[in-house]
Amino acid sequence: MPTDTQKNLAQIQNWMQSVLVSPEFDSANTADFVNDSSRLSAERHLRIYRQSYIARLRDCMKNQFSALAFALGEDLFQMFADQYLEAYPSGSYTLNDLGKNFAAHLQETRPDAGSAEKESWIDFMIELANFEYSLSIIFDEHADEKIVLADDSTTDESLKLIPVFHLFRHTYPVCRYYLDVVNKNEPELPFEETSFCTVSRYNFRLNLLEINPAQYFFLEKLRDGESVAEAKDQTVYKFGFDAKDFENVWQMWRKNFIAADFLRVESVGAD
Amino acid sequence: MNKKTSPECVKDFPNPGFGLGLRSKHFNDILENKPEVDWFEIISENFMDSGGRPKNVLRRIAERYKVVMHGVSLSIGSADDLNFEYLTKLKNLAAEINPLWISDHLCWTGINGLNSHDLLPMPLTEESLKHVCKKIDQAQDFLGRPLVFENPSTYLRFKQSTINEWDFLRLMTEETGCGILLDVNNVYVSSFNNDFDAAHYIENLPHEKIVQMHLAGHQNCGDYIIDTHDNFVAPQVWQLFSLAWKLTNGAAVLLEWDSNIPDFDVYHSELLKAKDFMNDLPEIRNFETHKKSESDGVSNPLDFLVTDVSYELNR
Repeated sequence: MPTDTQKNLAQIQNWMQSVLVSPEFDSANTADFVNDSSRLSAERHLRIYRQSYIARLRDCMKNQFSALAFALGEDLFQMFADQYLEAYPSGSYTLNDLGKNFAAHLQETRPDAGSAEKESWIDFMIELANFEYSLSIIFDEHADEKIVLADDSTTDESLKLIPVFHLFRHTYPVCRYYLDVVNKNEPELPFEETSFCTVSRYNFRLNLLEINPAQYFFLEKLRDGESVAEAKDQTVYKFGFDAKDFENVWQMWRKNFIAADFLRVESVGAD
Repeated sequence: MNKKTSPECVKDFPNPGFGLGLRSKHFNDILENKPEVDWFEIISENFMDSGGRPKNVLRRIAERYKVVMHGVSLSIGSADDLNFEYLTKLKNLAAEINPLWISDHLCWTGINGLNSHDLLPMPLTEESLKHVCKKIDQAQDFLGRPLVFENPSTYLRFKQSTINEWDFLRLMTEETGCGILLDVNNVYVSSFNNDFDAAHYIENLPHEKIVQMHLAGHQNCGDYIIDTHDNFVAPQVWQLFSLAWKLTNGAAVLLEWDSNIPDFDVYHSELLKAKDFMNDLPEIRNFETHKKSESDGVSNPLDFLVTDVSYELNR
């Protein structure tokens, strides 16, 4: 049974929290809880907290989804963010989790939900939201980064992917759009176009690289634990490449992948 | 650093001198230039879950500098129970970096499992004092060390409050053995917003329990002041600091700057201004009203708690 103490404290805190998080400001009971001061009414005192609550979380959302905010424009992004924060108020001790369900929320509340014809721009926004949240997770994921990067002298048999390595397939050029925003190129909204990219982390810095479908397939095999030779064989088979020609292609890929810092030397007995 | 056992009593805490908040913007500056800063205060939540660059940088900085862990999510004043998943992560981080002490705020951040990510004000009553002390005891037992609690900036006073904040803090320390982090700027902000005498507040604290002080900038919005941590320390706050320095016999000092964060040299220079105010005790009772800020600020800005991934990209 809660004591009277907890009940009183809980009543006050329940009341204040409900005022902070509700979309409309209800000042009805303010005078029962808050004092006026010499300069401000009780209601204005309370409004300071209410204003800060939403402004702080909007800022965090904008920070976590900066490319999406650019794509939607300030007003539309804020509208979606506000709706999201109301539907999914934070329950975590860390703000890094704030946007965890944002992409799912955009899917659940997509404006074309009731119509037979789907708006394609919404799919792009959802993919972009998912991608940006993934970047924040990958940036801080746990991994042993004490590795030796591959170089030109590393044999194919010793090549492995680095520990923090992720592959993405999108129905829009999401990675390109994201990089354009980050590099302040002010991109236009893209048309539908299947795209592939890698997100890797070496020395605690993220690398984003657009790749082609065959590279995606090959790297997927490597990621799943197959050797370079096995991955090459399967790629040749899948895409109908000429095995001899593909050897030249592989040498170019290998050089580019090593330059992108996502191949390491397999340590003996460690894998 | 060698593992050390935390002191069992706050009066045995060391005095590390003049410190700065560790912010990601300054990571490279600190690692490359190894500035002569006495100690760094980290935001615990920024590092508790990190397996990437923030934790890596912290490990390297903790090898060279003394570190204090400062949290924003303990929510010691919430009617909710303590979150032991959170406390376990806090304890694990402390075991790894060996902080001089762990601090948080006399506040609540949410109830019924929600987190507003704001440092919300307590109703200061006998009942809430008992509740807070019980939770402090539980947290200190779990962590195996005394905790330190900061007076938050407040923007309202509850009708139900019956105890002055300085008395509430004193009673808390007497009951639990916890220490106080005196945020001088917060005293000024709260005194302006809630009509009390800031000097009287500081004079009536238990000075021997004050482990650390905070300094920060704020924004004057005309008829209220917001604790924005986005500017230089205001003259009125320096004056109060002078008083607090004298009364605490020179507790450890930390300058916070969490929004519009300047270059490291500017930040460090502002901290060192504290030395100009250590022995001076100017007239402190009649503060001039601040010049009004152009824009409304956000209290306790926490945007620095979310990593700007684009800043961490290789391009």
